[in-house]
Amino acid sequence: MAHLLEVRDLKKYFVGRSGIFGGSAKKTVRAVDGVSFTVDQGETLGLVGESGCGKSTLVKTLLYLEVPTSGEVYYDGQRLTEKEAMRLRRRAQIVFQDPYMSLPPRMRIGDIVADPLLIHRLADRRSVRERVNQLLEDVGLQPETADQYPHQFSGGMRQRVGIARALAVQPSLVVADEAVSSLDVSVQSQILNLFKDLQERRDLTYIFVSHDLGVVKYMSHRIAVMYLGEIVELAATEELHARPLNPYTRALLSAIPSIHGAGRERIRLEGEPPDPGNPPPGCKFHPRCQIAQELCAQEAPQLKEWLPGHSVACHFALTDSGLAGGPDD
Amino acid sequence: MTDLATGGISPEPVTDAAPARSHMVRRLLKHRTFVIGVIGLTIIVLIALGAPLLAPHDPLTQDLANSLAPPFWGEGGSFDHPLGTDTLGRDVASRLMYGARNSLVIAFFAVLLASVLGLAAGLSAGFSRGWLDSVLMRLGDIQLAFPFILLAIVVLGVITDRNAVHLILVLGIPTWILYARVVRSRVLAEREKDYVLAAKSIGASRMRQMRRYVLPSVWMVVLVIAMLDFGFVIMVEATLSFLGFGLTPPTPSWGSILAEGRRNMIIAPWLAILPGLAIMVTVLAINITADGAADVLDPKLKMSIFRRLAQKKPANGTSTDLESEDAGSTRSEPAATKDEVEPPTLLEVRDLSVEFPLEDKVVKAVRHVSFDVHREQTLGIIGETGSGKSVLASSIIQLIDSPGRVTNGEVLFEGRDVTRIGDNEVAQLRGTKIGMIFQNPASSLNPVLSIGSQMVETIRQHQKVSPADARDMASQALLDVGIGDPQGILSQYPFQLSGGMNQRVMIALAMLAQPDLLIADEPSSALDVTTQAQVLERLRDITRQHQTSLILITHDIALVAEFADEILVMYAGQVCEVGPVRSVIDDTKHPYTKALLDSVPRAEIETGTRLQVIPGELPDPTALPPGCPFADRCGSMMNICREVNPSQVRVGPDHDVACHLWSSNKDEEKV
Repeated sequence: MAHLLEVRDLKKYFVGRSGIFGGSAKKTVRAVDGVSFTVDQGETLGLVGESGCGKSTLVKTLLYLEVPTSGEVYYDGQRLTEKEAMRLRRRAQIVFQDPYMSLPPRMRIGDIVADPLLIHRLADRRSVRERVNQLLEDVGLQPETADQYPHQFSGGMRQRVGIARALAVQPSLVVADEAVSSLDVSVQSQILNLFKDLQERRDLTYIFVSHDLGVVKYMSHRIAVMYLGEIVELAATEELHARPLNPYTRALLSAIPSIHGAGRERIRLEGEPPDPGNPPPGCKFHPRCQIAQELCAQEAPQLKEWLPGHSVACHFALTDSGLAGGPDD
Repeated sequence: MTDLATGGISPEPVTDAAPARSHMVRRLLKHRTFVIGVIGLTIIVLIALGAPLLAPHDPLTQDLANSLAPPFWGEGGSFDHPLGTDTLGRDVASRLMYGARNSLVIAFFAVLLASVLGLAAGLSAGFSRGWLDSVLMRLGDIQLAFPFILLAIVVLGVITDRNAVHLILVLGIPTWILYARVVRSRVLAEREKDYVLAAKSIGASRMRQMRRYVLPSVWMVVLVIAMLDFGFVIMVEATLSFLGFGLTPPTPSWGSILAEGRRNMIIAPWLAILPGLAIMVTVLAINITADGAADVLDPKLKMSIFRRLAQKKPANGTSTDLESEDAGSTRSEPAATKDEVEPPTLLEVRDLSVEFPLEDKVVKAVRHVSFDVHREQTLGIIGETGSGKSVLASSIIQLIDSPGRVTNGEVLFEGRDVTRIGDNEVAQLRGTKIGMIFQNPASSLNPVLSIGSQMVETIRQHQKVSPADARDMASQALLDVGIGDPQGILSQYPFQLSGGMNQRVMIALAMLAQPDLLIADEPSSALDVTTQAQVLERLRDITRQHQTSLILITHDIALVAEFADEILVMYAGQVCEVGPVRSVIDDTKHPYTKALLDSVPRAEIETGTRLQVIPGELPDPTALPPGCPFADRCGSMMNICREVNPSQVRVGPDHDVACHLWSSNKDEEKV
């Protein structure tokens, strides 16, 4: 069976001028640099990485909110081009990070949720009110809220409106782009559980983007770790946490503070994340990597399936963790 | 013309917190300047409209026998010609009324024309970017470079029989650029916001994105410019008429009446003064109306800052003084039992309250908070948005944002009450004994000075050393916070450094004075996970090294668990629970602290489990309940919780909690 979503060698480069005085030198930032992965119906793929790693650009590109530089996106086995983006808009939707920025300030909640229905002619003017009320109820809002404006709501309630808008076209895939990052902790759990409930009820597929490994672990079946525009590790959630094979993943996991307090050995990353406009040659992580060798500076590792269902982009993925053997190819 | 574009209008976009229409009308009506302007303008417009009914004479009827009659207050004046007559014996009052009609109609339609053209051009330029944008904006540049009045004179000079339409076209068309520029910049700002991307995502066409999503956020600015432009156009029309390029005589307009009056300035000064006054009053009325409207429509101004404050900070207008005393006083009682093993106290905050008086209410951001910071210890303060944790921190160094003020309690630093000493002394304290680090390091550093010069300057403020020595000290300070290449960093500017690097520079800067207390307000929240860990480890190491006490303010309870000795949990401006970190986390007493620990997904979480949810939302800061602010969301809520705000009781060694679950037990024990 075809995957619900398949992304092949997707690239998104931004060409801009460098220097604050706008010098003539053009600089290319490879925000997404050859990313391939698949997502199956009903699963949640977590996408983690630090700021500037390209995770947000990746999801916007695969939804054609940004035009890809190259690469292919298949939906239900069919390749989608930019011209067919309108078809995609009925199958895939996005929930944004900032609930204060992502709702139009001068539209009523009801109109915001109704607009996708009207655009895609999924409801006429008479039935739209009923559909909107149902959608609001589905995300835990009272139907009366339809007559109010976004500024009358708290962040958590606004994010519910954002989710209702995304669900209006009954998409199969919902991308949550840091959808809970700007919420207060006591509200965050409500929204996370809402996402989970909706997934069960509607058989939704999620791509859950976050810098917060705890959130991603809670939500995802599989997790992809990004570093400087590339996926460096992709595995089932339990597997990734139990056996991180990429040194960057290990550093990332060890950096999370724990309520059990200090005392754990923490992997200290040397140096700063490199400038995405001028990444180091070879493996982009090698200058900060503890197990880097000569090869790493010369040749970029490919994402390969080293263990069943566990792909890693590292020349020495199994060397350090004490497991012998090469990739399964 | 360019003055107009900058005259009181900010090109900033209207924020999302902008109010709904009805709300705005109410605020406009509350704005006194605006109301005065509108009343004045209404009177003028009514006079102009009612000219045929109100005017005592026909404005064109000549009565040479009765020329240059003075107004009624002058010698020989009569109420037949209340404002006198001109050289041809025409009634001045009637001419002014009809003149107002002509001037206002011309100005109104010129403004309408300009705003429609400008809005269309600005929208399409901003939305399309690309070549259309370039063409339109260059066209505008050329036009702005062209002397507007001269152009108008040349065009109007060619036309021999000038009517209102000619003037409307000449005055209206060239001003489009004023509107287009501001609209374009707003559109550019708005289209970057996620809601436009969201519109694209739901499949809205470009036209729909522009019309339904962007336009409602930008049209109001057109209204404000239009009002200012209205005054400007009336002036220009008067100027042109005065120069003889207005409406073809004998049609009256204020400018032409003024021009005719000027010739008889000496014998009949009212002929020039009255039309001048009419122009002045009209333009003044328009301008103060526009000003008032800009105040209300521009969210950057005072009003909306207060509104945002009100949303962020909790308020409680209902708690009685009796309860507040309860809440404050209990903490100090058990202090006598402290043994000598505990390090001496550096900072004592006692029963501190901070309030922000707003227009119609008082926001109580911090309510009767007491805690201690011990020497060489780290106190972690955790809380969500609006918990008052940042206000609490700024009150320690007396840096509360206006209009906030301390209304109760004291902040004893080394025994001295910081809230009662003078500004100079506080400033002295801030520079030497208390340091502060903020969430966003880039905005705390001076963007136009290199790191080196900022550090050298700071060092030389406090110590008499040569610049070279100061630079060495700066270099050492950077090494201390783990910067491997201090010389390289010293010569760089903040924008050239990453967030993590800037935050390390901030820590180095704050530690230069070797303060006794360092307050770090969300020092790592803007940083990535890996950088966050590094920065906090550095912070912990360096404060230990220099025996500095640290107050670490954050929303992340796990961070506090790792990096602090004591923890203070805040909710709605109050302390819920305070005590040694391990005691509070392993033996949690307050339901809110418990809920915080259980509701955050952590790396330790088992897959397939379900998060516990804290129901509801943070309490509405403008309508806090009289009882415990957490009561409505609390799983263990009892009747008393809704009525009485719990006071702090001791539940373990140095472990205090403000919750009725424990206070009732405590009371029983006492009995």
